[in-house]
Amino acid sequence: MRGITKRFPGVLANDQVDFEALPGEVHALLGENGAGKSTLSNILTGLYRPDEGEMLLYGKPATFHAPRDAIDAGVGMVHQHFRLAASFTVAENLVLGHRDAADRGLLLEPRVVEGRIAELSRRYRMPVNPRARIWQLSVGEQQRVEILKVLYRGARILILDEPTSQLTPQEADDLFQTLRLMAAEQRTIIFISHKLEEVMAVSNRVTVLRRGKVIGTVMTGDTNTRELARMMVGRDVVFTQKKQGPAQAERQVALELRQVSATGDLGTPALHNVNLTVHAGEIVGVAGVAGNGQHELAEVVTGMRRRTSGQVIVTGRPARGSNPLEAIRRGIAYVPDDRLGTGVAPSLSVAENLVLKAFRRPPISTQGFLHPRRIRANAVELMRRFNIAASSPQTPARQLSGGNIQKVLLARELSSHPRVLVACSPTSGLDVGATDTVRGLLLEAARDGVGILLISEDLDEILALADRIAVLYGGRITGIVERQHAEVEQLGLMMAGAATK
Amino acid sequence: MIRIERRLTESRWLVAAVPAGSLVAAAILSGLILLVTGHDPVATWSRLLDRGFFAPGAMSATLVTATPLLLTGLAAAAAFRMQTWNIGAEGQLYLGAVGASGIGIALRDQSPFLVIPAMILAGIVTGAAWAAIPGVLRAYTRTNEIITSLMLNYVAGLLMSYLIFDSHSYWRDLSTFTARVFPQGKYLPDAASWPNFPLGGIAIPLGFVLGMIAAAVLWVIYTATRFGFEARVIGDSRAAAHYAGIRTRRKIVAVMALSGALAGIGGASEIGDFRHVLDPRGLQQASFGYAGIVVAALARLNPFAVIVVAILLGGLSNAGFSLQGATFPAGLVGTLQGLILFCALAGELLVHYRIRFARRAGAAPPAPVPARAEIA
Amino acid sequence: MINNTILVVIAASAISYGTPLLFAALGELLAERSGVLNLGVEGMMLIGAVSGFWAVQTVGGPGWVVLLAAVVVAALAAAATSLIHAVLTISLRASQIVSGLALTIFAGASGLSSYIGHVASLGGKPARHEFDAINVLGLQDTPVIGPILFHQNALTYVSWVLVVLTLLYLYRTRPGLHLRAVGESPATADAMGVNVTAYRYVHVMIGGALAGIGGAFFSLAITPGWLDGMTSGAGWIAIALVIFAFWRPELALVGAYLFGAFSSLAFTLQARQVHLPPEVFASLPYLMTVIVLVLVSTGWARQRLGAPASLGVPYVREER
Repeated sequence: MRGITKRFPGVLANDQVDFEALPGEVHALLGENGAGKSTLSNILTGLYRPDEGEMLLYGKPATFHAPRDAIDAGVGMVHQHFRLAASFTVAENLVLGHRDAADRGLLLEPRVVEGRIAELSRRYRMPVNPRARIWQLSVGEQQRVEILKVLYRGARILILDEPTSQLTPQEADDLFQTLRLMAAEQRTIIFISHKLEEVMAVSNRVTVLRRGKVIGTVMTGDTNTRELARMMVGRDVVFTQKKQGPAQAERQVALELRQVSATGDLGTPALHNVNLTVHAGEIVGVAGVAGNGQHELAEVVTGMRRRTSGQVIVTGRPARGSNPLEAIRRGIAYVPDDRLGTGVAPSLSVAENLVLKAFRRPPISTQGFLHPRRIRANAVELMRRFNIAASSPQTPARQLSGGNIQKVLLARELSSHPRVLVACSPTSGLDVGATDTVRGLLLEAARDGVGILLISEDLDEILALADRIAVLYGGRITGIVERQHAEVEQLGLMMAGAATK
Repeated sequence: MIRIERRLTESRWLVAAVPAGSLVAAAILSGLILLVTGHDPVATWSRLLDRGFFAPGAMSATLVTATPLLLTGLAAAAAFRMQTWNIGAEGQLYLGAVGASGIGIALRDQSPFLVIPAMILAGIVTGAAWAAIPGVLRAYTRTNEIITSLMLNYVAGLLMSYLIFDSHSYWRDLSTFTARVFPQGKYLPDAASWPNFPLGGIAIPLGFVLGMIAAAVLWVIYTATRFGFEARVIGDSRAAAHYAGIRTRRKIVAVMALSGALAGIGGASEIGDFRHVLDPRGLQQASFGYAGIVVAALARLNPFAVIVVAILLGGLSNAGFSLQGATFPAGLVGTLQGLILFCALAGELLVHYRIRFARRAGAAPPAPVPARAEIA
Repeated sequence: MINNTILVVIAASAISYGTPLLFAALGELLAERSGVLNLGVEGMMLIGAVSGFWAVQTVGGPGWVVLLAAVVVAALAAAATSLIHAVLTISLRASQIVSGLALTIFAGASGLSSYIGHVASLGGKPARHEFDAINVLGLQDTPVIGPILFHQNALTYVSWVLVVLTLLYLYRTRPGLHLRAVGESPATADAMGVNVTAYRYVHVMIGGALAGIGGAFFSLAITPGWLDGMTSGAGWIAIALVIFAFWRPELALVGAYLFGAFSSLAFTLQARQVHLPPEVFASLPYLMTVIVLVLVSTGWARQRLGAPASLGVPYVREER
């Protein structure tokens, strides 16, 4: 790829990017969120068209007008957010859009397809059941389907976008094995990531992107994580870390779950008899692979989901019903993982979003009428205190960057002086600066005595912030460990369902 | 190639220019339809405008037609603001007319100061109650309100027909022999005739005044009250509303009832300002409820803009009714309304997106130096 | 004779009244499977009804040729009408709800269909040709099933074939798989090289064509002739039917005849001198639609399995 430039309204996503990858190598594309990695890969797979620049495949110029062209040219992408139709079977997902001699016909031929899937999954040691429906599969299995889908199409160049973000450490190791197997067959693997350790572990070469520009390409053997980090961020980074745990015995219990069970959206059981305690000033991390009940856990605590049994106790008083208003009044703040859409109303202004919960009470409203001036003053104050970059309090929330949306959320939730804060994946998708700010705010809140339930799929984040770590698997807590005693290996096993004493 | 990008900010002048442009574009398109079917578009249009706005007395007649459009337009705007799709203003207007005419007949010997407020109140109550049915079904059984509110329009129409044509109901005039053979409703007493307010040669009907007050109230509700704030959050994102502890179900019922009440006033005004009798055929032919959707959409759900648009479309409808005949086929008004709405929808794209005409990406100038960097 | 008993008569005419619903519902089902909600069915049916009737009055030739031409004209006219909705919602990303309503206002009872009817002065004229019931294999006098299954008109039999074809198309063919993917997860389909825009355009227009045939069934079979707004809400019932049928063709067939039965019940009971006001019967299909929809929306069907996940959502690739 040569001189690739891509602009979005208000953003220069790729600026004169040059990039090359060789057959048989695992080439890592490293950069923090927003550095332009995804844009580059979307150009490579024909989803976006570059504003400038050209691409060469095996020495020949290539122009992709649509994803189909890239597929035909042997370029396949494994997206971070899987591109799978959830209600379809594995086999149906694999033949989707596919056209080659074997199955070009009008009619679907499930048997033939299933045979070929079986063969591929044997060859690359990725077992899946071709007849299973996607929604029945675990995240790790779904990723296998994504990779098989690309191989099924005969891709010579595979692009994997943040492939380990939702895997347990063990699953990630299995994935690296498979990638090496494929590189050994002279395929080209482009491995997109912002995690330094795994880039060091799996790649042959690394190209670093920062703010849409290529900073440099180095052989993995000639570098180290510190150098890569400096290239990636432009300065030495030291993430905010939890210094020491609170003295638990003296603290009172902020939140207690007793034997809590709940069902998921499809009516199937999602939480089983969960017991968990969060003390004031303590951060309890909930680790686990996505879809093991984290979402339901957060919703049950915040009253957004009915519990089928058990009790949610805040500062000693059990919740009567389960509705969000009651939870808000009892001092439970919530930073949901779906920021834009749940956490904020996207078309409403920053000022309005900052009073999304406080609008019921004086001084924001009295006798059913709102006070626009007080809403504005509140916004100005919070924007200053939390450093929210928005052109004005009147700006619609959807126009803010992810980091600023998260600051709006935290500003609103923390300014309500909560007793408990439930934070779900609070830094996912944020750049390094915003991540640091958000972590800082969480630690500060804990110092002020808020009990924090930190639910995240990012194990590094939990290890950086939490005092204690609970692991959720299949809707059950498979273990709770002190951070000082936590080992990644052991947590990984717990995340995969192995219970510990 | 054409590329469409989302605008970061809405262009202010386009917000006003698009509806105006839509009217012009729709006029041209309907002109084409007229031309193809052998009518002279210029003559037809000038007659429409003349009859609707400029001829002596036209404006007063237009305001009478604009009144129910204003109220059903507000009804649609009130509900659509919350993404609650009340398509039932038609039936709610019928019910408002049934309620208001019933009260008007019942209080035949009372003073206008009692009868008229009672009619307005009856319109509000019956309209709101009819709209509450799809509201409750939406809120508590998750039943699609578009279809239920629409089905109830047909039921409301049949209910009116039953009252006048197929029963000896309270609303039917059975006093004379002719009335028994050719069914019709009882005429309301003079005390139930709504007054109008002359202003520079134009008579402004009471219903229109009520509509303007309702527009102002609706604006206040949506911009300055807790109720309106909650409704706007729900309209923007149901998930965010749930998250913020807003009781979505009650709000859906309340907003549907509010919407139905507005349409109900529209029905009451049709009785009080204009017909003075429950006239099922006339009301059904006018289809003010459906036209209200056009009004609201064209006004981009802004209550004050609804007033302006209602007068414009009221003029066209008024002219359409009075010109209807061999040279001015029926159906033109609906066609025109549809076209205006299509153009407004297309124009909406301009407000939210910027359209760029760019070269095809593949046709970029060739690189002067043979490329060294390549993939694989 | 048993074939004159009320249940047989109602069942036979339920199929007749259900046929236009079935056509329109199958069309809407295909459009919605591609992710596009089209609330303009009523308008498209009326366009189909008026243009089909116009063709019957205008085209010369033997009866079956004229009727075939009429069906084709009705389908094409309604498909052209649906193209407006397709352009507005797929290319211009307008609200599917508002655009569909606009389509019904534009084409509906006091819109273009009425205009065409007046311009071509079609109102009140007897049809030159109409679809008559066929005595299939001479079995029409078979007890019970004769009048129900073997004495319907040609379009009804076509609709049965269509249900089977739609089933095969959706679940056994590659384009059917692609269609389902487009409605379920357009981003996935797009990434896999399926042309989302093309699939949506094509199926919205097929939807329009089938609604047009459904409309023509009114003006050429049920009550041959032309009357403003003669479909009287059938288009809306068809939309409700798609929800009722969980977006499955075979259930749409069941639903269409169920709703057909409500309509036929109204007419049959009235003809049999049952003394109730005619409005009670006439409102039956509408009230039953509401009731059935409520039942479907609650209880066991709460999850609305089968609703295409992207229904109503415009698909935009290059945006962030």
